[in-house]
Amino acid sequence: MATAAPVASPPRKWIHIPRPLQKLFDTFPLLAYDGNALPARAQSATFGDLPTLYVFSTEEAALLGAPSFNPSCLKWQTFLKLAGVKFQILPSTNHASPTGALPFILPKRSSPTDAPSPIPSSKFHEYALKFGTSSPPEVPALRLDAYQTLLDVPIRNAWLQALYRDPEYTDLLDRLYISPASSSFWVRGALRHQLRRAAESEILKTGPGGTASTALTLLVDEQAVYRAAVNALEALATLLSESNTGWFFGAETPTLFDASVFAYTHLMIKYMSDGKSERQGEEGSIFAERRLGNIVRRAGSGELGGHHRRLFELLWPVDSSTVFLTDKA
Amino acid sequence: MASSPSALGNTVEAATAKIDKAAAIVTEPKEHEPYQAQNPIFEDHLLAPATVNSIEVHGANNTRRGLLDHLFKPIVEESVNPDTTLGDVLGRISKATQKLTRFGIFKEDGFGVFISDARQKQQEQFQSPTDRTELDVSIRVKEQSRLVFSAGTDFGNSEGSAYTNAVLRNIFGGAETLSVNAATGTRTRSAYNAVFSTPLNGNPDLRLALEGLRSSTQKPWASHDEHLTGGNLRLAWLTDNGDNHTLGYSGVWRQLTGLAASASPTVRADAGDSLKSSITHTFTRDRRDNPMLPQAGYLLRTVSELAGWGPLKGDVSFLKSEVEVSTAQALPLPGVSVGAGFRAGLLCPLPTGYSLTGASVAPSRINDRFQLGGPTDVRGFSLGGIGPHDGADSVGGDVFAAGSVNMLLPLPKAGPTSPLRLQLFANGGRLVALQGKKAAEGSLSLDSSAVASGMKSAVAELANGLPSIAAGFGLVYAHPVARFELNFSLPLVVRRGEEARKGLQVGVGINFL
Repeated sequence: MATAAPVASPPRKWIHIPRPLQKLFDTFPLLAYDGNALPARAQSATFGDLPTLYVFSTEEAALLGAPSFNPSCLKWQTFLKLAGVKFQILPSTNHASPTGALPFILPKRSSPTDAPSPIPSSKFHEYALKFGTSSPPEVPALRLDAYQTLLDVPIRNAWLQALYRDPEYTDLLDRLYISPASSSFWVRGALRHQLRRAAESEILKTGPGGTASTALTLLVDEQAVYRAAVNALEALATLLSESNTGWFFGAETPTLFDASVFAYTHLMIKYMSDGKSERQGEEGSIFAERRLGNIVRRAGSGELGGHHRRLFELLWPVDSSTVFLTDKA
Repeated sequence: MASSPSALGNTVEAATAKIDKAAAIVTEPKEHEPYQAQNPIFEDHLLAPATVNSIEVHGANNTRRGLLDHLFKPIVEESVNPDTTLGDVLGRISKATQKLTRFGIFKEDGFGVFISDARQKQQEQFQSPTDRTELDVSIRVKEQSRLVFSAGTDFGNSEGSAYTNAVLRNIFGGAETLSVNAATGTRTRSAYNAVFSTPLNGNPDLRLALEGLRSSTQKPWASHDEHLTGGNLRLAWLTDNGDNHTLGYSGVWRQLTGLAASASPTVRADAGDSLKSSITHTFTRDRRDNPMLPQAGYLLRTVSELAGWGPLKGDVSFLKSEVEVSTAQALPLPGVSVGAGFRAGLLCPLPTGYSLTGASVAPSRINDRFQLGGPTDVRGFSLGGIGPHDGADSVGGDVFAAGSVNMLLPLPKAGPTSPLRLQLFANGGRLVALQGKKAAEGSLSLDSSAVASGMKSAVAELANGLPSIAAGFGLVYAHPVARFELNFSLPLVVRRGEEARKGLQVGVGINFL
């Protein structure tokens, strides 16, 4: 109510502007200069010939096109690469997304001031088929659903449990999600708390211990979460061993499902292996069980580890196993 | 109050009537002429020697004695001086009662000052060494309710809102106030704040306030919502010549979120969290005769803010300063006046830490940059209509200057006494963003040496070509709460991407350019 009330422009059907008035309006402004240049901070975000994929990443990693450290971002980043879509990466946060969650794509601009509509991840599949150079094969939906659930529930829960709730990975959580958001002690504390709460409620929604419960941390049965993840990874390893192409469901080339599995296995191997950990020998079995990277490597007879390596070398050939594979803290 | 038989007593009575409702009637007494004397006889009496024998304050049941002592003790002590005259005494008393009203804990219409001749009471031991009058002063006050709930509507600049408010007054008897507010409005989704404020050293013109706030505001001109959570500590003081200073520290967690689907890449790049930790100084000198419809006088305001530098830390680091001048002059014709206003501001990003020449400097964010244009500032443009635009989003700028000239004319029927005026105006402004070399490719940071040259060229850019200008005419209605304007305007000069309005525009606000 307090802001400007347009009467004259734009012309609407029910308001007829008399011709002389319209003529008067058309003569103004008397002088129009070129537009103002955008602020410095905007420029890296607004120029470029490629569509932009907004993901969780760091400035340096984004510049190199390195894998994102967020499972759903990495899944789609992998899939878009598999489909041969050309894009650039911009580090971002969930706040920037139209859906409230990363990733999303902002198509390239047709003109310098044009604001393209963002494409949410739910439409990435179509987008990849439309703009990609190769189309990854489809997997029969019935079988896919059963295995997709393994990723969406037990494996995801284990990832959430490890990253957000395990004190072992507090430093990692801070480095990936908290520190880039703010340098303030208080803001970081608040964000950490929010993230943990959100992760807990996600685990409780689907995890062992069952139904969505508003109650509390104590209800998360960590052992059960890890046990379910071990079983799920074993099942995936078995499924993979049945394929003779090296990709899931016997597909000729990697599919979206391969990308989904890779998103977790890559992050678990990269961030949660104890290969270089100082705490190696400590109380063997139980501790090792909690290292998701080790669980991935050991699942079945190492099929998942092999799958991860193959896909990684396929998509990030130059730097395989060196820069992006190891977590340089 | 007893009537006094002496001639002096009558004068006292006259003077008493005069300072009844002291705050309302007596204007600020000057050092040497405590009163604008109406007649010479009155003036004579004011020059008669007088002292204060006693001061009593009635009705301040919940107020600490110490607070009142701060005001009234000096009067009793100073007036022992043989040179004091009745005028001096009355002047001091009126000054003290005015101060008392400024604490904001007493009802304005409940004030009564009664002065009686002390000799009358003490007739037995009456022995006047000189012909000095000794006065007993009795001040009656009514305290305001200590707990007040209210609800209503409010107008800020370009925003209307509804609020509920609870005020706890005079909590510890020293004029401390706790005010808790909840509001929602046309652009404010929700806002909560609580302010505890207390006068320091028994002085109503020196106040310390501690505030906590949380709000969520829509910023439609840049397709996002901003959530704020934070607090501030402010020290405000009023100088003897009526200038207002506020010095404060504030720490605010800002979250830029809820982006519209059409949000531009510039806004998307700034989405997320940041903490601003800053010191702000505000100076206001308001010498206008009427803030809503000034016919004479001037307003000068400066705001300076230092954020993130040195020990302040936080996520943003800059020096931001803004100046606003406006003046009005009545013309010899009744009700006709001309006015002019000027605003300018500069936001200079700084490196974090103590260095001023750090390796890299983070450029400003959208929530720190200036916005320009709108019905209450540069009329004839939409809100944030001037300056850099990315798509439909007004992304703000780091340097701006804006000016306006206007003429107010009384309406033929309403006449010069009505709050309604016809307005002719022309205004314009320029808002420019800082450009600079990147510290590294793909990085958001600027090279620090580039910032200085960037600022220089941004300031120079202000004068490149004509500013964006609009002119028009309209009606102004000066309500005591806010000023309403309905204008018809056309843009004369614009820049591509800027959003000018052709036709009618409604403005509601307190502070217009």
